[in-house]
Amino acid sequence: MKTFFEFLVFCRYAVGAQFSGLPDRRILAEQLYRAGVGSMGLLTVLTLFAGLNLSVQSYSTFERFGGQDFLGMFAGIGGVRELYPVMAAIVCGARIGANLAAALANMKISEQVEALEVMSVDPMRYLVAPRLWAVALALPLLCGYADVVGIWASYYGAVHQLGLDGGTFVSQLQEFVHLEDLMVGVLKGLIFGWLVALVACFHGYRAAKKDGAEGVGIATNRAIVHGAVLCIVLNLVISWILYG
Amino acid sequence: MKKILEALESVGAVVHFFIEVTRSTLTQPFFFGELIRMMWLLTKRCLIPVGLAVAPVGAVISLQGLEIFRMFGLDRMLSSLLGTAIFREYSPALASVMVAAQAGSSIAARIGTMRVRGQIDALAVMSVDPMRYVVVPGVLACAVVTPLLNVLTNFLGLFSGWVFAVPLGGVDHGAFIEHLTAQVTPADLWVGLAKCWLFGTSVGLIAGFLGMRVSGGAEAVGKAANDTVVATIVMILLVDYIVSYVLLGVGV
Repeated sequence: MKTFFEFLVFCRYAVGAQFSGLPDRRILAEQLYRAGVGSMGLLTVLTLFAGLNLSVQSYSTFERFGGQDFLGMFAGIGGVRELYPVMAAIVCGARIGANLAAALANMKISEQVEALEVMSVDPMRYLVAPRLWAVALALPLLCGYADVVGIWASYYGAVHQLGLDGGTFVSQLQEFVHLEDLMVGVLKGLIFGWLVALVACFHGYRAAKKDGAEGVGIATNRAIVHGAVLCIVLNLVISWILYG
Repeated sequence: MKKILEALESVGAVVHFFIEVTRSTLTQPFFFGELIRMMWLLTKRCLIPVGLAVAPVGAVISLQGLEIFRMFGLDRMLSSLLGTAIFREYSPALASVMVAAQAGSSIAARIGTMRVRGQIDALAVMSVDPMRYVVVPGVLACAVVTPLLNVLTNFLGLFSGWVFAVPLGGVDHGAFIEHLTAQVTPADLWVGLAKCWLFGTSVGLIAGFLGMRVSGGAEAVGKAANDTVVATIVMILLVDYIVSYVLLGVGV
């Protein structure tokens, strides 16, 4: 409970610093590159298998009552609205969030953050704000990218591995997956990215010098777990509000 | 050339590590107390994150599935989709991902920290094999705890799905239960548990391997913890797909 309130206080300062002015362009570009381009390889592999699996798995479920032909709709709606945004968020948490937490915790335990303060550079504005901007900008783009890869993988699985009709699959997608669904997915990406970055920076920032090497491990671990759990729970809340 | 040699070296290290772990597991001495302690620790640490991560998934499947099934007037059939999806797919995969995120990364970080501080070497000097004392209990604990957690998350996922289907979605309770018992077979449950066992073992192995390879300072510990999670998530999704595909071919 105490941690939660500390997190709220941290959010207040971090978000305040984020919107208090434009971040340093050079740091922002570097962070954006690391978060965005750096995660693309991993995200590609993961959505590829998740998309294939979504086809294969829902095929074996729908087959039981003869609904295989609706696979396109199911893979499209389930993937774009729910699976790929959550997936992008978990990947983002596991990779970007963990990196942020580890980097900040490492700076904290080697007293680099205090050194910044002594030089009268606000670490919130110099370290945290550009990272928040970078992840919040990168994740919606990654979500859109995951949608493309995932739908392509579902199509490949359905048509080339399960032998369903390609035209049916595509027409189902066109009929049932609307632009709003894509927008909802991307919006989820924005919210999750921001949240993951805040949680990661918070845990990285909480590491103290006395924790030593262990503190870095704990910060990384908590950043991943809390980020993933928060995103999954928040996903339910958003879906409930929008579709419930 | 150098890159090829490095790649070969890590493949060799993986194989060597695997053989070493298997040998240490099967031969004496075996640190039983350490295993129990690890199992308790992992259960305590993973229970809440795993539960919190899987429970919303059942609700989301109900929420979206109901909308789709309503188009065809099939909303009474929702529970057969929910049951198979939870038992076979989402509960095992997500529970294992969370075990990787929580237990895997903390095991890797713990072993890495011990390595950095020279505690692993100290153990070896005291003629306690670090493999037996540190790595094997972690691997076995993950292999046992993940399926157990999966049993719990199956119920949680099903329950949250029920909440969103029956009281909130207006599906008839009797129809929900009837389709659940008619369409979901024990095979679904066993497939999920077997997957969990496989994923859990791999989480322990990957965490142990990357933890033991740590060299350097605090940064390397964080990197090992992070790499464990990333490698395990890739492995889980890859194996998950292969298993689904093979099972579809076999017809289970």
